[in-house]
Amino acid sequence: MLRVRDLVSSYGKLDVLRGISLDAAEGRITCLLGPNGAGKTTTLFTIAGILSARSGSVLLNGEDLTRLPAPKVVSRGIALVPENRLVFPRMNVEENLRAGAYARRASAAEIAADIADLYRRFPRLEARRDQFAGTLSGGEQQMLAIARGLMARPRILLMDEPSVGLAPLIVDEIFRIIQELNAEGVTILLVEQNARMALTVAHKFYLIEGGEITFSGSPGELEEDEVIRRAYLGAQKE
Amino acid sequence: MIDFVQNTVDGIMFGSSYALLAIGFTIVFGVLRRINLAFGASIMLGAYAGTWLHVHYQVNVLVVALTTLVCTVLAGIYVERLCFRAIRRDAALASMVSSFVIWMQLEEAAVHLLPERTYAFPSFFVAGSFELGPFLFRGEQTTMLVLAALMVGALHLLLRHTRFGLALRAVSESPRAAAYMGIDTAWVMLCAFALVSLVGGVAGFAILATDEQITPFFGLWATFKGLIAMMLGGMGSLPGAVLGGLLLGVIEAHAQWYLGNEYKDLSAYLLLFAMLVLRPGGILGQRIHGREALAFRRV
Ligand SMILES: Nc1ncnc2c1ncn2[C@@H]1O[C@H](COP(=O)(O)OP(=O)(O)OP(=O)(O)O)[C@@H](O)[C@H]1O
Ligand SMILES: [Mg+2]
Repeated sequence: MLRVRDLVSSYGKLDVLRGISLDAAEGRITCLLGPNGAGKTTTLFTIAGILSARSGSVLLNGEDLTRLPAPKVVSRGIALVPENRLVFPRMNVEENLRAGAYARRASAAEIAADIADLYRRFPRLEARRDQFAGTLSGGEQQMLAIARGLMARPRILLMDEPSVGLAPLIVDEIFRIIQELNAEGVTILLVEQNARMALTVAHKFYLIEGGEITFSGSPGELEEDEVIRRAYLGAQKE
Repeated sequence: MIDFVQNTVDGIMFGSSYALLAIGFTIVFGVLRRINLAFGASIMLGAYAGTWLHVHYQVNVLVVALTTLVCTVLAGIYVERLCFRAIRRDAALASMVSSFVIWMQLEEAAVHLLPERTYAFPSFFVAGSFELGPFLFRGEQTTMLVLAALMVGALHLLLRHTRFGLALRAVSESPRAAAYMGIDTAWVMLCAFALVSLVGGVAGFAILATDEQITPFFGLWATFKGLIAMMLGGMGSLPGAVLGGLLLGVIEAHAQWYLGNEYKDLSAYLLLFAMLVLRPGGILGQRIHGREALAFRRV
């Protein structure tokens, strides 16, 4: 489905991505793991067209998206749930959802139907539909950010560290939601630092370090890898 | 007491035109977090183009109105392309200075068009006045108030109930998040400039048609009044701009009545100064620190 090849990307002169290749299979959860500053967010930005790639390619179902600007990429079916959520703080929950559907050019009725669907999935958002997004709790904001991403009806959802800064109980809930969405057929590319949680949901792993992919494999292979276990899963597992 | 009420009414009527000018500053500030100093000058250039046709070809007042609006919008787009698009987002000071430079440039252009000090501007509104109890309502000013109320109502509908309004508010809230939603932020900013120029053009035309004359000081005057009204009401807030405009009008009307004409402007500056000291965000100002500021730091 999503196929990234030899992606090189930079801010100014400094190359941050030095040839990233990865695949995200249809209907699967693909996880990109890596330490701070490795280039995870940069990878998502380049796929989403927010940063333009210096070289390499991004293909979605065979269509080349590499040179497209962000609005076109969104309308081709790639939605981003950004790091730190970035909801629109002084717009209410419902307006945030509408903003998520901006690129679709859907009719008012279609949008209303999608919002109703999302409210069924996220009852906590419905209870707060007229509240400013900035007044929601961190967990609710994350749910809103996910729901807003889904409003674009993406073919693949890019999620940037959805668990960051949330209490363990809320993290569990977010991961449950991710799993449910996936069970309903949503393809997900998940960026995480919480490898332990990611292991509970993802089907395929990539490890990015210093702007390069240094490992790729199944959850089982990830757990087998001695180095990764020590660095990302903690050494306690025997 | 009757005087007081009459002054307040007069102030609100004239203040409604300040409100429109303030809306121009506040919407641009909302989208770009910048102050467009050339706003008054772009209205002036538009009005000068209309006046030029009036002076040389004695065109109908409706043609003057249309020319004023179209040329103000074109001038607004020119300002956006030159000072705000060409200059990077993080170079706030540079684009503020460049909007000042463009202000001077637009004024030069206007004065080249019509070099005399004062020109007659065609009147448009029903002259005369009507009485309601002990109070007197001037026809032009009442029309101005109605016009301003219609514009504010239309803007409210546009911002709250259209796809473009949603995009504009999203860009004002967080340009980055808006871009992630697939909103073309550069296009939205250009449209915002065109929109506020239209509003400013209407305000400028209404004011000039009431005064029935135009001078090269009009650009400076419009920028000052709009800026002061925006600062009073709160930067980036639409209700704030309306409130600030009306408040400024009322204060000026009272100062003029009780203290004399020469204290009219002074009282407005004093009020602004007091506001900046006591409540720097304005009456309904929004905070742009904290989380918002963080959101702007990257990219
Ligand atoms: N706007 C920018 N300008 C310059 N350098 C940047 C910019 N954004 C990120 N970088 C640099 O690019 C590198 C990769 O950043 P990126 O945000 O992709 O990391 P990350 O893997 O997402 O990290 P984290 O886990 O902390 O979110 C870092 O070294 C960072 O300093
Ligand atoms: Mg990141």
